[in-house]
Amino acid sequence: MSQSFRRASNQQGEAGRAEVPGEPSAPSPPLPGVQLSAEAEDELVRSAQRGDALALSALVDRLAPFVGRICGPIALEHGEDAAQEALIAVLRDLPTLREPRALYGWARRIAAREAVRHARAARRSLPLAGGGRELPAPGDPALARDVRSVLEALTPDQRAILVLRDLEGLSEREAAALLQVEEGTVKSRLSRARSAFRGRWTS
Amino acid sequence: MSAAPVWPAVELDPVARLRALASSMPWVSLEEAVIAAPFARVWSFIDDMERGVPQFERNVRRIEILSRDGDRLALRSFGPGGLTMRLDAVLRPGWCVMRGALGELGMAAAPAGPGATRFAHFEGSRRLGRVARPLFRYFVRRDLARLAALATSDGKGTSPS
Repeated sequence: MSQSFRRASNQQGEAGRAEVPGEPSAPSPPLPGVQLSAEAEDELVRSAQRGDALALSALVDRLAPFVGRICGPIALEHGEDAAQEALIAVLRDLPTLREPRALYGWARRIAAREAVRHARAARRSLPLAGGGRELPAPGDPALARDVRSVLEALTPDQRAILVLRDLEGLSEREAAALLQVEEGTVKSRLSRARSAFRGRWTS
Repeated sequence: MSAAPVWPAVELDPVARLRALASSMPWVSLEEAVIAAPFARVWSFIDDMERGVPQFERNVRRIEILSRDGDRLALRSFGPGGLTMRLDAVLRPGWCVMRGALGELGMAAAPAGPGATRFAHFEGSRRLGRVARPLFRYFVRRDLARLAALATSDGKGTSPS
């Protein structure tokens, strides 16, 4: 997109002054909120991988809310620490990412694992509630209430599977791969998490 | 009427974001400090770049804004010995990152309680690499101390606003 990637122009130095030459091939990163084409997104990631500070800044604008959305509901009061460490891990290891389009899947995996790790370390796990009712469907007015207090009653693993399935929309197979557990484990955890969630909602 | 679920997302402040950004640039040196001055006062030195930054960045004698497009700026800095450098920058409240031919610079700030501001600052040069980090650590510490002194002083004759 030409509006997103404008070529930086070289400026002539003032007479009598030594001008450090610019970087004519360095693109300007996209403005915040600008939707990029897949190609422009790839170029942004590649520029960031090369250490371009402005491309990294634009990538931080995109990745910080992304990891915050995953870490918050899983790690709860430790969500900020988890999101910070996840973002650091993603950016620190960014040069090792081979395929730019894999960025968000990779970041999601790191964020979910960091969040679960923090939540487990905080020993926030509580016993499950029983019952077999379903989690409110997306859009259910019941969900408009703050879900935080309800999430606190779930274990970190249950919160992770709820976030990945019901917030991020991953399939059971994708969630299993991300959390490095069997698909059957995801199914049972999800079932128990939804039951516990509903039990807390209606209690 | 159906409403969206209120999942407790986390919002990282600019200092946390800059810390993460710096982790991807192993050639930069980052320092943080809590400055005993309100955010608006501290950030005014960065926001008014032409008058504010040369007051605490000792390697910058003068800055000239060449163009501005939203939060994107093209700048020219005039350093010691007549050296000038073209810089591209992103500047918005609490966040400033600059990229030039010889180096990179970042500053971020967030309120840290009543009358206090957490400030993070990095400098480095991808071209010079990690070997120059000690030098940039010295620059960053020196400039951060200078900014803190300016922001916490009465400010007569020093405030950019």
